[in-house]
Amino acid sequence: METNSYISLSLAAAARRDLEVTANNIANANTAGFKGERVAFEAYLLEHPGGEDTEFVIDAGSYVDTRQGAFVQTGNPLDIALNGDGWLSYRTAEGQIAYGRDGQLSLSPDGVLLTQSGAEVLDSGGGTITLPPGITDLQISPEGTISSEAGELGQIGMFDVPSIQSYERLGAGMFVPPEGAQDDAQPTESTEMVQGSIESSNVHPIAEVTRLMEVQKSYERATKLIDNEDKLIRDALRRIGRMG
Amino acid sequence: MKALSIAATGMLAQQNNVDVISNNIANANTTGFKSARAAFQDLIYENVSREGALTSDQGTIAPTGIDIGLGVQTSGTVRLNTQGGFVSTENDLDVAIDGQGHFVVNLPDGGRAYTRDGAFQLSAEGQLVTMQGYEVDPGVVVPENTKSIEINEQGVIMAYVESDPNPVELGQLSLATFINDGGLRPMGNNLLEGTAASGDATTANPGDPGFGIVRQGYLENSNVNIIQQITDLISAQRAYEMNSKTIETADQMMSTANQVR
Repeated sequence: METNSYISLSLAAAARRDLEVTANNIANANTAGFKGERVAFEAYLLEHPGGEDTEFVIDAGSYVDTRQGAFVQTGNPLDIALNGDGWLSYRTAEGQIAYGRDGQLSLSPDGVLLTQSGAEVLDSGGGTITLPPGITDLQISPEGTISSEAGELGQIGMFDVPSIQSYERLGAGMFVPPEGAQDDAQPTESTEMVQGSIESSNVHPIAEVTRLMEVQKSYERATKLIDNEDKLIRDALRRIGRMG
Repeated sequence: MKALSIAATGMLAQQNNVDVISNNIANANTTGFKSARAAFQDLIYENVSREGALTSDQGTIAPTGIDIGLGVQTSGTVRLNTQGGFVSTENDLDVAIDGQGHFVVNLPDGGRAYTRDGAFQLSAEGQLVTMQGYEVDPGVVVPENTKSIEINEQGVIMAYVESDPNPVELGQLSLATFINDGGLRPMGNNLLEGTAASGDATTANPGDPGFGIVRQGYLENSNVNIIQQITDLISAQRAYEMNSKTIETADQMMSTANQVR
């Protein structure tokens, strides 16, 4: 094949990658605290000394759309949503410290604050939060302080994670620093906690469906180009054959 | 193509969502029923290219990697343990819990179950039982010729027998609470069962600190918010449609690929 076909092929491969990421966003359109993912493409320049340069498409990276999701009221005292750029901190079953925005909390049989997937929710000092039995009136303040009639019981930590874009996605709404990298999370006060609500997924249905259409068209375009290139070569071969 | 299986997980999750919502709507008038919600979480990610990978010999690193998610899964159903509304029935044996706690029920197999449904009945022997005929713990037997029964806010059951103006104290209802109410397993018939996740039951009398009081002559309605359920149903259906659109797109792209000579 000529270089032309390979350029089209790089476009088709990129469209496919984009489709996968969009499919995952759509699948998580109802996942609380979910942050959409986007693929960034860039040109890969192949220099031909003395000839014309060619550019291929490559997927340079995918980044997290950190925009705020809408709040949905649930009335459940253990549902919390974050208003602002902050992140909750979790400790996974493997002992990894992770960050996320899913605030559908529950309690272990010992009263330890957990996520639905069983990860411990941490306070600003990185410790777990344990609630005593028999609490009737659980209140969580905008600063994350948990209190009841018995007084203050603990504080849910909120963190500023400047390099969240470079963090690896673990699933279950969690982000962890990549191996060997510094965890640069710092407690923050600029984010507000809202009790009795959950933050819905920040995936925009219309944007995602439009994206799907766009991906499909660019894929079709790529295959069309490959097809045309193929026809061109066949045509050329036929003519050459006739001349001989 | 991964997009197909990713969209399939999305459709499956929305199907679970609709199942949970339809059960809520079906139980909108069930005494003591607590509304549930399906909670979702994203599946693991495939790190196609790693964050922080070296991009040059000078030590510059890629600020982002490529993470491809593999879809969604249902992480659990969360029960909303808020108070349901009270319905007046004027029945002596109907009691509603105002506050925290569950009535304790002795199952025929010797196990224990917990319920917020206080529509009690009497057995042929005068035993206080649930609608299914299971004994309410602690066992209370109402004597013959009882004219009326009174249950006070602390759950003390008193009977007025024949023409005696002074009531006879028959016993006291007890309530059970759990550290993690959400960990109780629904058994059907308005009964819940303790699990390793709920922790052990703490039993006390109604009105004790941390426990609700009981109200005679009332039943607790379900706490299902119908409007909320219907709007959730709409959004679940749309999300389902969007996932099927993904499948359609992936399918058309594959067919385009097949048409290339």
